[in-house]
Amino acid sequence: MIDHFAILPCNGLDKCAGLISRELALKLCESAENEILCPVFYRVSDKKYNKIASERPLLVIDGCLTRCASKLAAEKGLKITKKIIIAEEAKGHGIKLNDNLRITDQEQSLLETLFDELNKNDDNIVPPPSESAMSCEFLYETFQNGKFIFRIPKNGEVFFNENDCWAYVIGNRARIGVTDFVQQNLSDILYFTPPEIGAEIDQFGELGEIESSKSVFELVSPVSGKVISINEKLVGKPELLNENPYELGWVAEIELTKFEDDKELLIGFDKYFEIMKKKVEEING
Amino acid sequence: MSVLKVGVLSCSGEECLGGTISRLATRKVLEELKFIDTVTLCLPLYLAGGEEERNFAKVFPTISVDGCDKLCAKRSTEKFSGKISGSIDVSKIIGNENALNTKIVRNKDLKDEHRQMIDQVTDEIVKMIGSISPDAYSGKSFHGCGCGSE
Repeated sequence: MIDHFAILPCNGLDKCAGLISRELALKLCESAENEILCPVFYRVSDKKYNKIASERPLLVIDGCLTRCASKLAAEKGLKITKKIIIAEEAKGHGIKLNDNLRITDQEQSLLETLFDELNKNDDNIVPPPSESAMSCEFLYETFQNGKFIFRIPKNGEVFFNENDCWAYVIGNRARIGVTDFVQQNLSDILYFTPPEIGAEIDQFGELGEIESSKSVFELVSPVSGKVISINEKLVGKPELLNENPYELGWVAEIELTKFEDDKELLIGFDKYFEIMKKKVEEING
Repeated sequence: MSVLKVGVLSCSGEECLGGTISRLATRKVLEELKFIDTVTLCLPLYLAGGEEERNFAKVFPTISVDGCDKLCAKRSTEKFSGKISGSIDVSKIIGNENALNTKIVRNKDLKDEHRQMIDQVTDEIVKMIGSISPDAYSGKSFHGCGCGSE
C-alpha cells in the first residue's frame, strides 16, 4: 500500500494526463498518510520539502513523456521508489485520453484503476537497490552489420562524444556510459575499473577503464563535474556492459559543473549515428 | 488575417486553495468560455525548461495567475521570458485566508463557495485578456498561424 510516501505529481495544465496526475496524488493523500510535494513551489524553493523528500519513499507521477516530475526529482537528487507515467498507463489500459482538460468517465475509471493497482502491488513498490532518479528507459535506433546489431539511444537528453561515450543529462546531473560500438569491439569484457567517487573530472578526462581479452578502453568523459556515484553492480559483473551498455551497464553519475560549455563539444543522436555507422563499416567492411 | 494570441500561465500549486482556484479558473476560460485565441502554458513544464512555453511567453502577451503572494508564475515568467502583460494574484480576489487554506480540494469536492471564487477569478482573467492592446506584441508581425514562427 502507498502509505507514508512523498508524492511528486507533474500537475501539468496543458494535457489531461497532467490533471489525472494531480487527481491521483490527491486521492492517495486522502486515503493514507501521504504527502504531496508541490512541483511548482519545490522548484522555486526547496527548503520546505527537503526533509520530507529525504525521509520518505518517493512516488513520482508523470503525466506525459516529457516527464517533468522525474526530471525535477533528478535535479533534486531524490531517489525514486516508484514511478508511473499516466500517458503510458492509459495506453496500457487501452484508454485514449481526452484532448482537452476534462476528466470524463474513462479518465475517472483510469484514475480508480491506477489507485487500486498502486495500493495492491506491494511488490512493485520495493525499489531495486541501485535505482535512482536517473533511471531511464531509452528509445533506440538500431543498425546491423554482419551478425552484429548496434543500438543507439535517441532520447533528446542523451549526448555523445566522438570517443563513443554517452551522457544522459537531467538537470544538473548526468549518467555516463559507453555505446554499443565499444562493447561490440572489446568483445567479452572482463574487468571494470570505476572512477573514484568525489573525483573532479574535466570534459574529455578519464572516467575509469574497461578491459577485455582484446584490449583496454579508457572512458573519456563527455562532461565535466564531480563523480557522485558509480554502478556498483558493474564492478562484480562487468559482463553487464556486453549485455546492455545503456540501462544496465551505465558507468557513473556526475554532478555537472559547466554543462552549457561542455554541450558545445558534444553531439546528438543524428550525428553520432552516422559516425558510429562509418566506424563500424571501416572496421568490418 | 491577423491572429492575436494570449498565453495564460497559471499556478498549478498544491500548497493552498489559491493554487486550485487559479488552475480551475484558467481551465474555465479555455474550456467553458472557449477563448480560442488563449493558450494555457504549463507551469511545471515551463519551469522544467520547456522551450516552446518559454518562447511563446517571449513573443506573445502572457498573463500570470498566481494562487498566493509567493507569485511563482509571475516571477518565473519574468525570469525566463521577460516582461508580462498582466498579473493576477488570486489571494487579492478571494482573500488571503481563503487562498492560503491548506485543505486540499479535489474537483469532485468543489462547493458553491469554491465555484464563486472560480467565477470571480475567471472574470478577472477575461477582463485582463480584453485589456491587452496589440502594442503588447512588441511590434512583431502576427499574420499567420499564430504559432510564434511568424
